Amino acid sequence: MKIDSPDKLNAWKEECLQKDAKLKKKVMVCFGPGCLAAGCREIYAKFEEILAERKLGDITLESFKKTGCHGLCEKGPLVVIEPEGIFYNRVRTSQVKDIVEKTLAKGEIIERLLYKNPKTKERVLKYHDIDFYKKQTRLALRNLGHIDPDNIEDYVMRDGYQSVAKVLTGMTPEEVIDEVKLSGIRGRGGGGFPAGRKWATCRGVESDVRYVICNGDEGDPGAFMDRSIMEGDPHSVLEGMIVASYAVGARDAYIYVREEYPLAVQHLYQAIDDAKEHGFLGENIMGTDFSLDIHISRGGGAFVCGESSALMKSVAGEVGEPRAKYIHSVVKGLWDKPTVLNNVETFANIPLIMNKGGDWFRSIGTEKSTGTKAFSLVGKVENTGLIEVPMGTTLREIIYDIGGGIKDGRKFKAVQTGGPSGGCLPEDKLDLPVDFDTLTKAGSMMGSGGMIVMDDHTCMVDVAKYFLKFLVDESCGKDVPCREGLYQLHKMVVKVTEGKASEADLQLMEHLSKYIIMGSLCGLGKSGPNPFLSTVRYFRDEYLAHIIDKKCPGGVCRDLIRFEINDKCTGCTACIAPCPVDAITGEKDKIHILDQEKCTKCGACYAVCQFDAIDII
Amino acid sequence: MTKRFLIRPALCIGCRTCELACSLTHQENKKPGRSRIYPIAVGREQWVPIACLQCDDPACVKSCLVDALRLNEELGYIELLQERCIKCRACVAACPFGCSLIDEEQEIIVKCDLCEGNPACARFCPTKALEYK
Amino acid sequence: MKIQINGRWYEAREGEMVLDVLRREGIDVPALCAHEAVEPYGACRLCMVEITHEDWGGWKGNVTSCLYPVEDKLIVQTHTEDIIELRKTVLNLLLARCPNSPEIQKLASEYGIDTTSFVPREDADNCIMCGLCTRVCTQMGFNAISVAGRGYGREIATPLKEAPPDCVGCLACVKICPTHHIQYEDIGTTREIWGRQFELVKCKQCGKALITREFADYLIENRDIPADYFDICDDCKRSGTARDFKKLVHWEEKEEAEEEVSA
Repeated sequence: MKIDSPDKLNAWKEECLQKDAKLKKKVMVCFGPGCLAAGCREIYAKFEEILAERKLGDITLESFKKTGCHGLCEKGPLVVIEPEGIFYNRVRTSQVKDIVEKTLAKGEIIERLLYKNPKTKERVLKYHDIDFYKKQTRLALRNLGHIDPDNIEDYVMRDGYQSVAKVLTGMTPEEVIDEVKLSGIRGRGGGGFPAGRKWATCRGVESDVRYVICNGDEGDPGAFMDRSIMEGDPHSVLEGMIVASYAVGARDAYIYVREEYPLAVQHLYQAIDDAKEHGFLGENIMGTDFSLDIHISRGGGAFVCGESSALMKSVAGEVGEPRAKYIHSVVKGLWDKPTVLNNVETFANIPLIMNKGGDWFRSIGTEKSTGTKAFSLVGKVENTGLIEVPMGTTLREIIYDIGGGIKDGRKFKAVQTGGPSGGCLPEDKLDLPVDFDTLTKAGSMMGSGGMIVMDDHTCMVDVAKYFLKFLVDESCGKDVPCREGLYQLHKMVVKVTEGKASEADLQLMEHLSKYIIMGSLCGLGKSGPNPFLSTVRYFRDEYLAHIIDKKCPGGVCRDLIRFEINDKCTGCTACIAPCPVDAITGEKDKIHILDQEKCTKCGACYAVCQFDAIDII
Repeated sequence: MTKRFLIRPALCIGCRTCELACSLTHQENKKPGRSRIYPIAVGREQWVPIACLQCDDPACVKSCLVDALRLNEELGYIELLQERCIKCRACVAACPFGCSLIDEEQEIIVKCDLCEGNPACARFCPTKALEYK
Repeated sequence: MKIQINGRWYEAREGEMVLDVLRREGIDVPALCAHEAVEPYGACRLCMVEITHEDWGGWKGNVTSCLYPVEDKLIVQTHTEDIIELRKTVLNLLLARCPNSPEIQKLASEYGIDTTSFVPREDADNCIMCGLCTRVCTQMGFNAISVAGRGYGREIATPLKEAPPDCVGCLACVKICPTHHIQYEDIGTTREIWGRQFELVKCKQCGKALITREFADYLIENRDIPADYFDICDDCKRSGTARDFKKLVHWEEKEEAEEEVSA
């Protein structure tokens, strides 16, 4: 069925809503990345198995939906039962039968499957009453967890493709661009460049052909915002791209998505097929003379291909290497044609801006960073997962209110934002509002939205070492400062962790960093020294402790620590077996002895000791 | 009309002044370059001065894969852009008259450039065996 | 158009890069990865300069001159303190990568660096990864070698690290390499490079060799050059041309010619 007018779209939406209303209950099984890893496939299969044997009245297999990421990945697999919004977490296959028999059949709540508030230790019944969700504003993630991404009807029911109807039949491209400009939305991929301005520039360039590209090459360790959107709500990305293509005058658009995201690729293909079938893509969309095809370009997963010029080379089938951008890709991009490149999250926001208006969008967030931002909140917090908050929310609100605070009651030490080339911020920056400019000013950056929380058992030098290693491995190696400079900087950070560096080395590292930033060709190199610079800026004492005192305050750097057994040892013998080198000896009920000569500092004893009897010195 | 080389072998006495003039005109790094012109003995007291004939359909230009050779339309000669040349010797092998030359001393390829309009060889030829007009 | 370099105005042409003007005017700015035969690349970063413009409201920036197109009234500084410091850092890093390269040693020492502050590469060779060899190979249409790997482990390699099927042994890569890293060997009538052997075309008259059979065949097939042009070397071709001339010249008319000239 081709939807070639707004009326037809509305009629279809009505139809979908009625069909949905017939479902008495809906069981949303989360198929996000976290829940997939936790075994949601088996949970779903179990539901199918039970349903095959047992009739459940009105509830049929249609009621069971595989949804995109709900967000609270820490507690997966997640099962949400609508319309009540009953939220079951850490569901095991053995408990599926109970859910069917008790909750679905009789409406009983299974207490032990409910989410437990880490602060009050109370069970919370409903989805929206959980602090993690309560404090969020989900725009880009609006449909995640609420629809089956492979079902276009689910999307249409929730105002899907309304913006395409509105824009194509009632707005000029210039009006669309003005609305995007009015919204103030800035690119969510990291750079934070105003999308409206980008579109306007592209449209303004004299050219017969223009392109729109969606950057789905999310490669930061620990980041999965874009992946979750592509997997869980692919149509929202397509819809944003259709609007953008209409606005700039593109006939072809590309989604660059990494091969490592097979589910995203699969869902995008399905979404494109469905959109074509219903006339949202292809010739004469909405009965107008606007036509568009969206193609999928699969990347091999080189981190640097997320950089715009490298990405465009990769889409064009060349080696994905950055080039100098003295002529911007908006003017001369893919195949040297004017090209708009935005990331997944940016496009996912566009339909809302079109439907609700730029004024509405800019009423959310701060003056210069409007709207919301999705983050993948990971590391040492109670509630890790995918979140979305208004710009300007403080780090403290994100980490303590949404994230539920630091895991195991430990002390907060730092939060790393902006991906590998972002930076680490210390405790006294926790009340900073999260927006593009504030984070950059504080020496970190927004990046695409990775947020890694670290506790007091983290060594900041070690953190710098980890991220630098990542960047050394992912640098394409084209230019000297990035290839050789980051390599040498990493070597010197390693030297610090080994206790072999001097204060002169530290100065050399700072000097080198300055010129890597100045001399590098692309963003990877220009922000490459950030892991070092931001840690040395806020945690200089820790560097000096390694250099002068030859100590690692975080108790991480093996060359600078030793394990000792203190008098809290009860002689339980628990640590003896895990030691891989037999360095611990002792008898039951007697304080054990650790042979420093043999000890390899693997930390196995520390991990198993229940009595805090092992000190890291 | 563009000027051309007028060669009268009958007047050539094999004095090699043209070679010397060429070599000194085309100095690189304060060293004389390889002469682009050669009076070749073809018999007793008989010499023929040979230099690039600036062909109309030059094999050297066709053989150059980096476009370092091109027709200089203003002065009507085949110009070798030294900065572009990668010394692959394709033109040396391809020229049917042997007039793309290797300057072993400077490690570059050279050919007659008509001294950009005023060839030194012709200016210094004592017998007018070589003229440029 | 005119651009200002270090306080003096110079003529510049539409479409050229700042480095083209610097080189034409003999202004000393180092560049290891730039060559006119290939597209600018921007890898060595030595040619960076500071630019500004009276219309830019005081904004200054550092750019690679090899990639920055000239524009009217552009103001260029080639030796600011930061630029010099950047070149020193780059040369310091290159010296760690190629501690044995005479070219790098010389350039580094011109910038006051005699020993590297960094950890020299183990088993170092003289490749600075400027990419000139691969780019010239692509430019010539062979694509026999390319960049492989990434980051610090980036290297120049043949496909599958085997003898390259598309190589013709033209030595463009050897000749263009700024650090003379790429090796080849001519023994008798064979040439060996990139692990592949080529046959050299020997002059039928004197035996002198200029290029390989494969390169000659490529030019014959693709550039419309008659095959027999490659049979004889340049020296023998000049002698042959002279002999052909001899037949056309009326030697006995020497006096007539002299008269004509004096008249």
